[in-house]
Amino acid sequence: MPITTTRRRLLAGSAAALALPAFARAQSAVKPRLTAISQWSAGSDGAAITALGKKFEEKGGIWQHSPVPGFTTEMMNKLRAQIIAGDPPACSQLKGPEIAAWSKIAPTVNLDALVAAAGYEKVVAPDLARLHKPEGKWISLPLQIYSTNMLFLSKRAMDKAKADKIPVTWADFNDLAEKMKAGGITYPIANGGTRPDDGQKFEASFAGISPASYRAAIMNLDKKALEGPEIKAAFAQVRKIANWMDPNVGAQPYATNLKRFVDGDMGMMIQGGWAQGVLRNAGFKFDDFIIAPGPSDNSRPVFLLNADAFIFWQRKEPDLQAGQTLMAQLVMDPAIQTMYSQITGSIPVRTDVDLSGDGWSDGQRRTAAALKDAVANNQAVLSLAHNMAQENGLTAAMIDVLTEYVKNKTITPEQAVTRLAEAVEGSR
Amino acid sequence: MTGTGAAAPRTGWPAISGVVRRLPEYMTIWVPLLLSAAHLVSFSLWTIWISFTPSTLVPVSGWVGLRNYTAVMASRNWKIAFDNLLLFGSAFVLLSLVTGLILAILLDQRIRGENVLRSIFLYPLAVSFVVTGTVWSWLLNPGLGIQKLVHDLGWTSFRFDWLVDRDMAIWTIVIAAIWQSSGFAMALFLAGLRSVDADIIKAAQIDGAGPIRTYWRVILPTLWPITITVVVVQLQFAISAFDLVRALTNGGPGIATQLPALVVYDLMFQRSQLGRGAAAAVLMLLILLVVLLPYAAWRYVQRRRATHA
Repeated sequence: MPITTTRRRLLAGSAAALALPAFARAQSAVKPRLTAISQWSAGSDGAAITALGKKFEEKGGIWQHSPVPGFTTEMMNKLRAQIIAGDPPACSQLKGPEIAAWSKIAPTVNLDALVAAAGYEKVVAPDLARLHKPEGKWISLPLQIYSTNMLFLSKRAMDKAKADKIPVTWADFNDLAEKMKAGGITYPIANGGTRPDDGQKFEASFAGISPASYRAAIMNLDKKALEGPEIKAAFAQVRKIANWMDPNVGAQPYATNLKRFVDGDMGMMIQGGWAQGVLRNAGFKFDDFIIAPGPSDNSRPVFLLNADAFIFWQRKEPDLQAGQTLMAQLVMDPAIQTMYSQITGSIPVRTDVDLSGDGWSDGQRRTAAALKDAVANNQAVLSLAHNMAQENGLTAAMIDVLTEYVKNKTITPEQAVTRLAEAVEGSR
Repeated sequence: MTGTGAAAPRTGWPAISGVVRRLPEYMTIWVPLLLSAAHLVSFSLWTIWISFTPSTLVPVSGWVGLRNYTAVMASRNWKIAFDNLLLFGSAFVLLSLVTGLILAILLDQRIRGENVLRSIFLYPLAVSFVVTGTVWSWLLNPGLGIQKLVHDLGWTSFRFDWLVDRDMAIWTIVIAAIWQSSGFAMALFLAGLRSVDADIIKAAQIDGAGPIRTYWRVILPTLWPITITVVVVQLQFAISAFDLVRALTNGGPGIATQLPALVVYDLMFQRSQLGRGAAAAVLMLLILLVVLLPYAAWRYVQRRRATHA
């Protein structure tokens, strides 16, 4: 086809002409290249990291992302293999206390200069900053924040229950669930039955009842708080939530129930903010559901922090080092954080991003406001279920107890408290 | 190089020429055998060594004695896994043995279409455990599978929710495992049944034994060695069962259907506790030895008896 060829040549020629300035710049230094691994392969997460990759390429870089689908631990297995082989990726996803743990097994990049140049430290919540600079040096950068205890309400279920008030405390929540049940909704709670899901039911209950006690027991493993009345009350609340769930849920992910939730056959869901992205990606509208901060007994928002981050592994290759610099600058850029969060449904790490624009949902605005409020009142705590509060081994031992408790209705809250304390003891 | 090889037979050294001639044989048998043995032994030794180190994220050297072992054995996960293994192992082996034997006896009646039926019963063996687990997880899910079908047919009080019932969930694994592997038992038994000397059966018939009595007193006793083989093969499967459980229940509801292999995987790759994972793996090896050592002893005794007789 001679005509097409000419046209293609024309296009290629004009593209080359446009790219000339960038090419001239690249001549002076190496072309930045980034090898990255993460668990984000599909859905809104996959779309977001692909968009980030595009921005990286627009800046003249070579983007080499290898997603490892599944849970974060699956990605870690690949990371472990690469580190043992002496070939770590230039940058990988990692979060929470695992950043400190992993930074001990392989050298990381000191990002202090880049962070200072971007003025990033001033706009990151202090608790979060601490996780990303073990031993005082920035070696990883948080990218986006979720709260794991957002309350999702189905509009149609609210209509069935003839309710219009968003529950604030656990008592309100329980009332609403009963009302929904009376309104003909057999299963007022639409959560799934995976391990993190069961963990979230517990942490949302515990932190909502007493954030101070949660901090002491779960984050600081204080023995007294681990056996206190607040944690017992939390287990009692979890039992209520479990009894309102579809018993057939087994080990299914929460996403299985999203349609029943939107249709109003199920009423409420305690989920991370990422569920907004998943709902949107599945074709549901903002009018179908309401997002509010999870129930809190002192009526002020409690924020269970979950933040995704990138850690940068030391490499000798100049092109990878240039790629790391470019990537770090991009991750800290407010425009990039805005783009990323608008795709996934999270909120930006930077507290100075304006969320009043069109691309943001009310849920995201409420989430950002809740974070601000929670940080001010010391009610922002780290999520256990999503590996922010403790290292994997200890987290898994605690979630064993939680998931068994959710599934086994003969375990009393008192027994659960004892078992959790034992699990903590056995794992240390 | 090639010259010496070609020259050897002509110089008339029969021993060397024999070795050279049989070199390809030795190469094909001994090299892979030694390689796989070295592989197996070295990795087992390495795992045993790791189980005594404080390794977590990556293997490290150091010595913690039996600490990993005591931690694993004290954990609730391991206790549940061990109890489940006893239950699953004995139920699965016994039931698949019985099912396989009954199928084999029924097929042994010189019926029409035997080949087709045999293929049908053997077919599940060709399916991977992950597929079996996934399909059965749909069939057994009360909201999707058998229970829903029966409800839709009108029997609404019907209940078959073992998959989400933590006391019964382990039995769903038994069901799926039997479906998968009773064909294997059947094939072995059928071969055994076919190899019984026809004269003995005729003699029994002439003596006036009915078909049931013939089976019970004459044919089945000859199946002993096959039974032992089936039991050992099925037991080692039961002990190392992983993929089936992972696909079917993933150790749930809660941690009700944990099995040792799941615990090992969980410790090593989900919890980043390599030392404890290795300790659990060594414990699994010990459980296997409990099964395999008596079998080896039995084989030894059998052989001794055969040579003495």
